[in-house]
Amino acid sequence: MRNIFFFLLLASVFFSCEDVIELETEAAPGQLAIDAWITDESKPQTVKLSLTQPYFDKNPIVPAKGATVFVVSEDSIPYAFRDLKNNGEYVWQPSFPGEKILTVGKEYLLYVQYDKQEYISISKVNRVPPIDSINYFKEKLPVATPDNPRKEGFQADFYARDFRGEGDCYWIRTYRNDTLFNKPSQITVAYDAGFSAGGRSDGLLFIIPLRASITPELYRENEEVKVELYSIPQEAFFFLQIVRTESTNGGIFATIPSNIPSNIRNRDEKSKIQPLGFFGVSAVSSMKVKIDPKKAIPKPMGR
Amino acid sequence: MTQKLLALLVMCLSLSSLWAQDKLTISGYVKDAKNGEALIGAAIAVPAIGGGVVTNDYGFYSLTLPKGNYKLIFSYLGYINQEKEVALLNADLKLNLELAEEAQELDVIEVKAKREDENVRSIEMSVNKIEMRTIQKMPALLGEVDVIRSIQFLPGVTTVGEGATGFNVRGGGVDQNLVLLDEAPVFNSSHLFGFFSVFNPDAVKDVKLVKGGIPAEYGGRLSSILDVRMKEGNSKELDVSGGVGTIFSRLAIEAPLFNEKGSFIVAGRRSYIDVLAKPFLNSDLRDSRFYFYDLSAKANVRIDDKNTFFLSGYFGRDVFGAQFGFDWGNGTGTARWNHVFSNKLFLNLTAFYSNYDYRIQTDLQDPNPQDAFRWNSNIKNYSVKPDFTWYVNAKNKVSFGGQSIYYTFEPGNATAISGGESRNLGLPKKYAIENAVYISNEQKLKRNLTIQYGIRYSLYDYIGPGRAYTWPAQTGERRSPLTTTNYQSGDRIARYGNWEPRFSANWGLGKATSMKFSYNRMAQYLHLLSNTAAASPLDVWTPTTNNIKPQVANQVALGLFQNFNDNTYEASVELYHKTMSNQVDYIQNSDLLLNELVEGDLLIGEGRAFGAEFYVRKAKGKLNGWISYTLSRSERKVLGINNSNWFPNRFDKTHVLNVVAIYDLKPRVSFSANFTYSTGTPATFPNSKFVWQGFALPHNFNDERNNSRIPSYHRLDLAATIKQKKKIFGKGEGEWVFSIYNVYNRRNPFSVFVRQNEDNPSQTEAVRYSVFGSIIPAVTYNFKF
Repeated sequence: MRNIFFFLLLASVFFSCEDVIELETEAAPGQLAIDAWITDESKPQTVKLSLTQPYFDKNPIVPAKGATVFVVSEDSIPYAFRDLKNNGEYVWQPSFPGEKILTVGKEYLLYVQYDKQEYISISKVNRVPPIDSINYFKEKLPVATPDNPRKEGFQADFYARDFRGEGDCYWIRTYRNDTLFNKPSQITVAYDAGFSAGGRSDGLLFIIPLRASITPELYRENEEVKVELYSIPQEAFFFLQIVRTESTNGGIFATIPSNIPSNIRNRDEKSKIQPLGFFGVSAVSSMKVKIDPKKAIPKPMGR
Repeated sequence: MTQKLLALLVMCLSLSSLWAQDKLTISGYVKDAKNGEALIGAAIAVPAIGGGVVTNDYGFYSLTLPKGNYKLIFSYLGYINQEKEVALLNADLKLNLELAEEAQELDVIEVKAKREDENVRSIEMSVNKIEMRTIQKMPALLGEVDVIRSIQFLPGVTTVGEGATGFNVRGGGVDQNLVLLDEAPVFNSSHLFGFFSVFNPDAVKDVKLVKGGIPAEYGGRLSSILDVRMKEGNSKELDVSGGVGTIFSRLAIEAPLFNEKGSFIVAGRRSYIDVLAKPFLNSDLRDSRFYFYDLSAKANVRIDDKNTFFLSGYFGRDVFGAQFGFDWGNGTGTARWNHVFSNKLFLNLTAFYSNYDYRIQTDLQDPNPQDAFRWNSNIKNYSVKPDFTWYVNAKNKVSFGGQSIYYTFEPGNATAISGGESRNLGLPKKYAIENAVYISNEQKLKRNLTIQYGIRYSLYDYIGPGRAYTWPAQTGERRSPLTTTNYQSGDRIARYGNWEPRFSANWGLGKATSMKFSYNRMAQYLHLLSNTAAASPLDVWTPTTNNIKPQVANQVALGLFQNFNDNTYEASVELYHKTMSNQVDYIQNSDLLLNELVEGDLLIGEGRAFGAEFYVRKAKGKLNGWISYTLSRSERKVLGINNSNWFPNRFDKTHVLNVVAIYDLKPRVSFSANFTYSTGTPATFPNSKFVWQGFALPHNFNDERNNSRIPSYHRLDLAATIKQKKKIFGKGEGEWVFSIYNVYNRRNPFSVFVRQNEDNPSQTEAVRYSVFGSIIPAVTYNFKF
């Protein structure tokens, strides 16, 4: 539903303006930030640890070094993550071709020990449907906008069908020529085949705005479109929604800013020292195509 | 309850006939000599008794006096006073009177009698009236005269920011104002998300904002009553007026009906940017629709001296989109019967219907059976409302009556089609009935002491069919229901009753000074669910349920009123304190639309507001206008937000200064200026950031809400009105209005928010968002013939 607000904002665009200004905020004590997203792919997996810094601090981020990081399966198999480059990026690498950490349906524990504190979190790997196809058609926009600078090109859509059974959640990630579209406003998450928990879209083909979300900007001939469909826990669906909201929260219909919750806790529940960040696990299906004008479909009705 | 009131009424009536032995009554209507419009609040003074009355909302008055000869002075601001000698000796008298407007060409009118200082003398406090002709002269955004933007210059009225829907009164939410158009509530008072209000200035006669000391006849909202009355239409001659502005083109027609026994007005407005833009749009956009319009109509007929009927209606809509369509709007209809039972008992019986709805559809032009989304939502209400005024004698005026409202809510009716499969996302309709009865008396205890005391009892039923849930205790997080119960049609799901006492007093402290005090308790059974900075057209009105309790407010106010220089200057100071219970707030990431379990996303808290309002108005002379200054605070406390501590509301502004000045240079030329200054609104800023998946994300270590403020807001607007010398069709007149909004081109912030830098995601910045980032000149042409 949130997309509608973008439309609402169009009306106010005429006179409104945005300026970057200087703002002073008081400093806050530093906290550990944990960025841990593990997939079921057989490739290096990374957990990034860093420290918070004052919001307007222009210095590079400060890595948290010297931590102990493990992911442990529900069958008690530990996978150690090591800071190979001493830059706060703790990496696990497959020791033989095809080795992977995650199995669909199982739960995994993240364990981080840093600065005498122990932090833990649990996440479950959910099922992910295959991507059936990606098609594209020639499109011309009435105007180019900062969010969509290309006026002409190809609009690509992907097709996949949600599983029967309510509550499957997904994160749709798109790459153009191997570069992830990674602006906060480009975060696309699905609850079943729709936008929200009350959407009653269980078991459907992903609805049109989700199918079309893989085209934040129109594509050109010979560009490669790669779509990754991540299964994510419901908790992660809400987390990513909040990340998106809190990072793109301007205009007259902004929501009141609030803190982004974390699913990682100090092992000592009473401790005042709590981390930020999120631990999530995903099964992944993906597909890629190269834009070939000859293979473009005619523009569908109503688009 | 109704029976008891009726019994009381019968008893009172029989008493009045007893008193009638040695007292007689004079009654009638006061109207405008030019067009026959009833004058609301015209004063009828009786110097012999040092008192008098004012006409009611229909221009009716009644005075009961001991037998004798009296001099009556009829007065109304901007009109020439009239004195009448009456002999109340043998029988009751009827006296209908017409007052003539002060002609501007007659520069000095010293012959008129001294105008009674109504603002000092009346029992009303915390009430602001702005004459339409003042509103029409004030500089307006894009030259469009606007009722709601104008009342934002009054003390105690704020908004979350320019361009936002609605207004906030004495620290209350936008949903706490009962906005009445000819007694029918208007649920969304804005066009274009809040830039313009829905009232066509050509059709509006009188605007009154009641912020405190709210009389017992009003109920259903906590913070204010905005009573907008439509013109009745010229009952003497055909009158055509209109204008061409930057946004709207307007046309209004007024004419007499039935040999001047009645009249009507039809007034319409439409924005026309789309019409102008059409030739410049390429084929893709040729079909796009972006316009808004409203139509107001009213007719009245006077059957005889005792019976008058009124019929009025409003319909307005905003329409946007092309293939994708989004439209919303209000519709109201009001039928009224004014009946004078005896010359002491006046009845206004109102029946109204009011509707607000919106629709969003992705396949508006060509239905798409494969992929579509269709959604609509509405709130409708139907009401009957008898209001009696009984002019007992010169010392007592009793008001009594009741209201019954039947509500239906369609929170969301939606269908989604994906790949040819259709799903219904609709939520069940909800139903409620709100009843109220009231009685109050305005009593002159002594020559310098008048009190008004009243009580209102409201009874609310949330009825089936429907589904009701119970929830675990509030924690600040999303909740899941504990139990679900289904109710059949007509079943009562929840019932609430509230006694709402009202009290006001006016203590005269001399010729032109008075002290006033008031207390009121208000109950509100509707809640607007809105978690965005400004309310949006998509926000859904929700009824009080078994879980969402009615909002209740208690307000006390104390005021000092003083006029200077023969009432040339009116001044007042008012202090108020208000508490509000059962205020709705929201969990983080709350999902308020199309969510069956929306109650699980709500948090309930309490509110409080207090402040001081200083107001000086110059009502007469070539230079007129007002200066108001308000010092105030509005806060709320919600379990689960801001560590459960008090925090300021989004629309809290510590200092607000408004200056409105109108200067009539010559009869044909006038200038006006507005200036406004206000403290920046509260905002929540992060004090640290962290990086996750390449996003630099904000974090507030103390988890505070509204811990800072954005820069202050100030703005100057100017306007000039120049009337044409040349007559249109021999009798009419035309005028040009030139206006400049935001004269010194300040980029006033609506909000300040933070984000990561577009080009360098690891860097973060603060952004000032201005709704109007530049100076905005406009020209409007108005005509009347």
